[in-house]
Amino acid sequence: VGVVMSSPMAGSAPSSSKDRPASRINFIPELQSMMFALGDARRPLQETAALVEDIVHTQLITMLHQACEGAALRGSRVISPEDILFLMRRDKRKLARLLKYLQFRDYKSKILKTLEDEDTQAESGIHRRRQRLAQDFLVWMDQTGELLSLAERQEIDPIKQERMERLERQTRNMDPAQYAEFCESRQLSFAKKASKFRDWLDCSSLELKPNSMAMEILSYLAYETVAQIVDLSLLVKQEMTAKTNPVSHVISASYIHYNTHAESCPATVEPPSGAIQPCHIREAIRRYNYRHTSAYSRSGMTFLTC
Amino acid sequence: MDESALERYFEDSIANDSGFMLGEGLGLQSPALIPQDPSQLAQDPAYPSEKSGVSGEAGDELDLSFLPDELSTQEEPRHDVSALDVSQDSGVGVDHNSQESTTTEGTQEASTSGAGTRASPFYPMTPMTPMTPVTPVTERSGIIPQLQNIVSTVNLGCPLDLKFIALQARNAEYNPKRFAAVIMRIREPRTTALIFSSGKMVCTGAKSEEQSRLAARKYARVVQKLGFPARFLEFKIQNMVASCDVCFPIRLEGLVLTHQQFSSYEPELFPGLIYRMVKPRIVLLIFVSGKVVLTGAKERAEIYEAFENIYPILKGFRKQ
Repeated sequence: VGVVMSSPMAGSAPSSSKDRPASRINFIPELQSMMFALGDARRPLQETAALVEDIVHTQLITMLHQACEGAALRGSRVISPEDILFLMRRDKRKLARLLKYLQFRDYKSKILKTLEDEDTQAESGIHRRRQRLAQDFLVWMDQTGELLSLAERQEIDPIKQERMERLERQTRNMDPAQYAEFCESRQLSFAKKASKFRDWLDCSSLELKPNSMAMEILSYLAYETVAQIVDLSLLVKQEMTAKTNPVSHVISASYIHYNTHAESCPATVEPPSGAIQPCHIREAIRRYNYRHTSAYSRSGMTFLTC
Repeated sequence: MDESALERYFEDSIANDSGFMLGEGLGLQSPALIPQDPSQLAQDPAYPSEKSGVSGEAGDELDLSFLPDELSTQEEPRHDVSALDVSQDSGVGVDHNSQESTTTEGTQEASTSGAGTRASPFYPMTPMTPMTPVTPVTERSGIIPQLQNIVSTVNLGCPLDLKFIALQARNAEYNPKRFAAVIMRIREPRTTALIFSSGKMVCTGAKSEEQSRLAARKYARVVQKLGFPARFLEFKIQNMVASCDVCFPIRLEGLVLTHQQFSSYEPELFPGLIYRMVKPRIVLLIFVSGKVVLTGAKERAEIYEAFENIYPILKGFRKQ
């Protein structure tokens, strides 16, 4: 299945499934596992995973190119987190989610250190290093104080909330064996396969390379992209397969989260069984592009994560 | 739960009964809980058994709170000989189950088969002297979290020449470029100390408060013997880590949803749910397998209280 989509996606894509050799590094089995963990059926389709892989790869490379330009402009010799944060500046919600992720990473390493024998107070500076870095950058960039407040945000992230609810529903009816399998799938991430991720990403076409923390953020963004694709596709799938369902308008109402305006209205109907199909994904992307393309968007490409 | 009763209960037990200390070793033996982490939590199985005649001494020696805080030469002979015996007894009761059943008042301890297996026998808390109304035993979890690591600090009260100490003392490392303290280790109790030039010292790795204090004293003694006027000031337990196993799988997605304000669960980053309990202020790591790690306590009672608080919640999310 070639990447035949209207649009910005195919246009600037340096990588389409036609160009890449069959023996290339791919994340298809991992993606299938991740999609299951994010709400897809127990055995996601391989073709769906292949499509998702393509989308994620294209988005990351395009984002990297832009980040590279930014880094070059400020005279840096590497792409660092600041360049990525800069690209994300417009979407406050996603930025807040990223900051929470960085906080969690710091917090986790701090907690784990107290469990080990050689915890030392002297090393506490390391415990907040990611958050501090992000915060320093936001201080520099922030004009209105809005970005800085993101780190302290107490509001519930409605998308995260919905994901949590969906997973809770999904796991409720599993037996212990299925649940154990599910938990293992949830643990999979691009961050865990850092070197494969780096190779897969293939930064050879870039003038400047991302440093290690930028890579961390990129692997997080890759996972977020997959999550978003699954979120959107599940909604599309529900709509497509539940046309005669009188409650279907309630389901599509939760799509409104992605428009940021309406009140949250979580879907209470169980998602129909059956794996996500490539057509669901394409439709989801099409709708998302339609909503988010603006005259100001530089590349004409819409990023799912910013 | 009646907090003051719980505190009194534990104070009484620790002060009066050496059996309680030994009984601690019968907590669930769960080595290497977190697969990814180094097995700092693993029990050391290599304790030689000291079966006879030690429990009498155990009562005296463990009660170090009565000893003066200033180190004195009188302690020395007792300190070296019997302390060694005692420290082998306390905390890790793998070989000592036969003793516990005789020392305490009619406790129903788990059989020695409890040691080394993952299954948790349902046994009541030790030793149970009835007091003012508390939660009846049947409603309690019946599981005692086992202490894995204690971090304490003490001020030796004089500046120290780290290079000199590193050269003279056995089991000492000093790499000023990497870290500005001497790292010293002793085998009994198996601990590590970080000794700073200011005279402050951190002691980690002990499995009980008494062991931590005992170890800290030994390190202080080493420094004293090297010629420094070391004292033993402001000894304080800074952190206690404990672990246990509820023995049923837990559906973490449910827990994180209903207890959002306290929990974080990001399995892509860490397989456990991090639960920040407010009262007492303890952090719990809860795993799907049912293993629970508790950290952040300054007192043992906080650990027990935290676990009793979380246990009914965990039962509610038991994966059937």
